[in-house]
Amino acid sequence: MKKHYFLIFALILLTITASGCTGRRVTTAGWPGITVDQDVAYLASGPHIYAVNLDNGTLKWRFPAEAQRGMDFYAPPAVLDDQQLIAAGYDDTLYSINPANGKENWSFTGPKDRLISQPLVTETAIYFTSADHNLYAVDHQGNELWAPFETEEPIWAAPVWSESCECVFVTSMDHRVYAVDPDRGTEIWRTEDLGGPIVSKPAISDDGILYVSTFANEVLAINVDTRAVKWRFTTDDWSWASPIIDGDQVYASDLAGNFYAIDRQSGEQLWVVKPAGRIVSAPLVGEDMIYFGTDDGALITITPDGTIQRNQQISGKLYTSPVGGEDLILIAPTEHDELLLAYDQNGTKVWNFSPSDD
Amino acid sequence: MWDAFITLMINILLYIYNLVGKDFGLAIILFTILVRVIMYPLTAKQVESSKAMQDMQESKEWKEIQKKFKDDKEKLAQKQMEYYKEKGISPFGSCLPLLLQFPIIIGLYQAIIRALAVTPIQLINLSNHISDGANLIPINSQFLWMELSEPERLQIFGYGVPILAILVVITSYIQTKMVSTGTTPGDSGGQGAQMSQAMSLYMPFFMGYLALTFASGLALYFIASNLTTIAQYLLLGQGDLKNILPSRS
Repeated sequence: MKKHYFLIFALILLTITASGCTGRRVTTAGWPGITVDQDVAYLASGPHIYAVNLDNGTLKWRFPAEAQRGMDFYAPPAVLDDQQLIAAGYDDTLYSINPANGKENWSFTGPKDRLISQPLVTETAIYFTSADHNLYAVDHQGNELWAPFETEEPIWAAPVWSESCECVFVTSMDHRVYAVDPDRGTEIWRTEDLGGPIVSKPAISDDGILYVSTFANEVLAINVDTRAVKWRFTTDDWSWASPIIDGDQVYASDLAGNFYAIDRQSGEQLWVVKPAGRIVSAPLVGEDMIYFGTDDGALITITPDGTIQRNQQISGKLYTSPVGGEDLILIAPTEHDELLLAYDQNGTKVWNFSPSDD
Repeated sequence: MWDAFITLMINILLYIYNLVGKDFGLAIILFTILVRVIMYPLTAKQVESSKAMQDMQESKEWKEIQKKFKDDKEKLAQKQMEYYKEKGISPFGSCLPLLLQFPIIIGLYQAIIRALAVTPIQLINLSNHISDGANLIPINSQFLWMELSEPERLQIFGYGVPILAILVVITSYIQTKMVSTGTTPGDSGGQGAQMSQAMSLYMPFFMGYLALTFASGLALYFIASNLTTIAQYLLLGQGDLKNILPSRS
């Protein structure tokens, strides 16, 4: 019988080992998302949304108060007003949280798969996407406004509002950008197949040009009026992060670790920097500096002409875009002991936040 | 080294996936069969050695040696080694091929799990292993009624029935029974046989538990692997189906 006990013990041990490397829904499915509103940073990181005081990095509240099985958050929450913070969950649910106390106002459980990106809030509606291929719209009380708008593949990117066409743009892993009627949820137009999956939101310029990154190793400029591709810029690897417009240039990156500045009109490369590590997230564009992270754990600071000012080792992996708030640069590393780090403009750490600070 | 091996496995799996019209379930089945067929010489060697060992346990000559030296363990061991030498039996002949198969099986399993990238972190990790293949993304993880990245349940009259887990238990039981028909080296129905019997009892339930709890892509791999192994054993003349039913003793 002793042999049997040994065998049972060995099988239990094997189960525990195997559970560490399977495709089950696990807490490390995404990377943290940060949103700053006034003097509070909202951090979506695993089982909680944390409200963290910007002045000293202390916890204001967390939602839910106790972790619940299957409930995970990675998308940056969206601030609707002083009554509602909108959070997208990996449990296929959209939550409205009271920013004052972290209590739930309502939830919407229509989607059938993970909500990976930040919701878009407008004066009348909340738009959000799901890996179930759909774009959803609910009103400020969580009531569905129209039947979900379906694309052919999962949507991982956040929807984007366009003032000029008064429509919602959504990019899909089916290689297309869609313009959707915000009142009816119907398609206004769609682009041709752009050559590769798109997992990040597009950037829109005032003169009606959409900038899109794709896994086909390209950044594209698309004329919204004609839907014609204005130019294509070739990268060395998959371009994951959203392009960012800064004056006459567009910043883009790829998984090979290149950070590019592209001429917005011609699509010509202005300069490129390549620190070690891959670049997954969009940069933070400050007044006179640009900040981005690498999966080597480095926070890179460059000038608008592409000169590296600082290469600061944070450790972990910097998949999350740096976010600015009250003269601070907020960093949420993955695979790091701290959940949130705050640096000043000189690269000096001001405070850090981790769950043990609760 | 291991990473390069996994990369190779993932790329072969995704090549098959593309070849069969982006059906990941079918790709898992074909890839598992392919790997098992490639490993056939190892399996054959293992079966051959097991058979030789089993024949030895049943031989009159060996039984007499056991009887003669039953009170002298040291001498029995010495005679056993002499017997091995005389008959050309390798005592590790059945273990070594099995050990060589392990890294391949683990690599196959990891390739399946890593290719099923349904979250950003998983996709980032997958991108480390594929040089191109953007057009294969996102991987279509739907197969029949299953979402291969999630544990499987088939809704029957409102109840979620774990069909794959049940099939895993059945095929694992048959396979384990077929494999454990031989006896353990140096054993004559003692501890080794007990262990083997216990394995054939617990292992199917352990595999069933994994299939019940983890991604159904893994369960599909278990079933394909078990069925291929059963077919190979039958082909090698090792599959006495009477052994599958529990004996009265």
